[in-house]
Amino acid sequence: MAAYHVVMVHFPIALWLVAGLAIFIRAVSDGAVGQTFDRALPTLLVAGVVFGALAWVLGLNVWPWSTLSSTPMGRNHMLLASWSLAYFALLTVLRLRHGTVIWQGLNRLVMVGLAGVGVIFVGITGTLGGHLVGNYTEVGQVLRLLGWEIYSTFYVPNLTIGVIVVVSVVMVVLALLGRNAAQKAG
Amino acid sequence: MRSAKSLLILALFGGALLFAWLTHGTGVVRDDPARNIAIPADLTVPLQVQAAYNDSTMFFRYRWPAEKPGFFHDILRYQDGEWIVEGKAVPGPQADGLHEDRVAMMLDDGSVPEFGRYGGYVAIGAGLAGLTDEAPEEVTKYLPQTRNRLGAWDDMADDAKLAAQREAGYFLDLWHWRGGRSNPLGAADDQYVGSKRGGDAGKGTYGTNWDKDLNQPKMMFTSGHGTLKWADIQAGTVTQDDTYALIPAVTVPFDPNAGWQNGDVIPRRILTPPEGSRGNIGVVGAGRWTDGYWDVTLSRALDTGNPADDKILKDQGAYQMAFAIHRNATGGRWHYVSLPATLGLGRPGDVTATRFQGGTPTWGDSWTDVTLFYPGQVTWPMLNNARAHAGAEYIAKGVPVAYRHSPEQLANYGIEQEFKPQIKRQWLFTLLAGVLLIAAFGVALDVTLKNRKGA
Repeated sequence: MAAYHVVMVHFPIALWLVAGLAIFIRAVSDGAVGQTFDRALPTLLVAGVVFGALAWVLGLNVWPWSTLSSTPMGRNHMLLASWSLAYFALLTVLRLRHGTVIWQGLNRLVMVGLAGVGVIFVGITGTLGGHLVGNYTEVGQVLRLLGWEIYSTFYVPNLTIGVIVVVSVVMVVLALLGRNAAQKAG
Repeated sequence: MRSAKSLLILALFGGALLFAWLTHGTGVVRDDPARNIAIPADLTVPLQVQAAYNDSTMFFRYRWPAEKPGFFHDILRYQDGEWIVEGKAVPGPQADGLHEDRVAMMLDDGSVPEFGRYGGYVAIGAGLAGLTDEAPEEVTKYLPQTRNRLGAWDDMADDAKLAAQREAGYFLDLWHWRGGRSNPLGAADDQYVGSKRGGDAGKGTYGTNWDKDLNQPKMMFTSGHGTLKWADIQAGTVTQDDTYALIPAVTVPFDPNAGWQNGDVIPRRILTPPEGSRGNIGVVGAGRWTDGYWDVTLSRALDTGNPADDKILKDQGAYQMAFAIHRNATGGRWHYVSLPATLGLGRPGDVTATRFQGGTPTWGDSWTDVTLFYPGQVTWPMLNNARAHAGAEYIAKGVPVAYRHSPEQLANYGIEQEFKPQIKRQWLFTLLAGVLLIAAFGVALDVTLKNRKGA
């Protein structure tokens, strides 16, 4: 299954990176070029998520779960791949549900920021995948300089997990409070 | 107001990611003596090696950094009429700085094929002493084929098979220099790894300085009881130029009426020259620690005449080696090891031994640099288990460890192995927490954008 996974991952990587570029161009251009990229964006994102999900499933079958979850690099690759998929699914939903609203005002800068984070996630995922098959890059060295030894599993302590859970709840509550306020005002 | 809330949501998401980045890798890895776990501060150590030979003798020179010289192993400290043992083995560094420094080298001639590809990993069987899941009895390094089943430390092959293996060369020659228990005699311990890590035929350099019947030391220094003081040892003021080892020239039978004072110290090891095959390896000059580095040169006959104990070396021969050191008052598995390296006698190798004429080599400045690493708890059965090690299939295919792994990588993997269930659990929680964070962020943005659209 490893060979199929390696083939398949090129599709979401390419689609998501192009989507990131499209978001950037649309954010800085209201002209014809920006509009053209925006029209292509839903296709890029949807296709990226579909192929990403397929690659993710294939990746789960490269090794048995016990093997994958016993290997630091396998764990890291799995973690970043899952986050990348979730993250671009988020971007896809936002674009499909809200259309051009995402380019209004500060929203466009937010989209650029989100795309940037997504591209970083995908880049690290691909780098770790390369390490798993013996193709090393200096990206690993950059991550080391930033504080992560990529040959160690990326995990956070319980305190951080608790903070993440609380932050997740607070973000949703804040948004809902905003909606209620908007409904009352309307 | 809505913009403020939107910015707050963004800040919360970014802050959570940043917090995760700053705290990652914490909360799990810590020393746990109850589980035989002690992680060294430095995961890698440089070792330099030189090799040379003449018509009859092989020479190896080793140089490695050590903050302090470890030439005491364990000692007997007099306190209120009793002799108390100090320096017992513990996981990681011994608190009083006791336990000798060492350099060891396993050597093979190709008779143990896996050794050339995987180095010392091949000798780390299940149940070894010092592992978290150590066997109830002391089990030392052993080679896989000396057991009937992989991972069964107690399922030993029968004696006839073991004897045949030894005859066929299925063992590793072990050159084992000990800073406290052999170096004062100008010797190293000539050992092997086969069905166990054992000494070659003959007698080793050290025995225990304790008379069980009389419940007192057997020997003491001729120069009197004041030679060694516990306070001086702890302060590190005893040097290699002082009398610190019970070698024959400075020992007499113990006298219980010698006026012992609290804090007097006698080494717990009596050193006597090795005999037989076990005494084949000598120290050239003296193993010395100077300015933060050990410099040790060992020599041995190319052909010791003991092919069942030693790997016989020949001009133009190619061999496999792996190195290890102990430093910082550690023993047992708390050492640093190397990946396998090749040795060529008059032919290219990772370490190329140059041929010379005369009695002792004139070492130049050409060293082979070797990176030693803390190996953690990685056993040969685990490495060959496809459900635990993704590279098991490559071992089966004979792919060498160095093809896919660096010493730095293996050091980290070794530590991960020591905390496997804890890290695996925490990793899974982290993965799920990240997905939750992204999902919640998505919901929050979705609601916020909908408000904008409605507004």
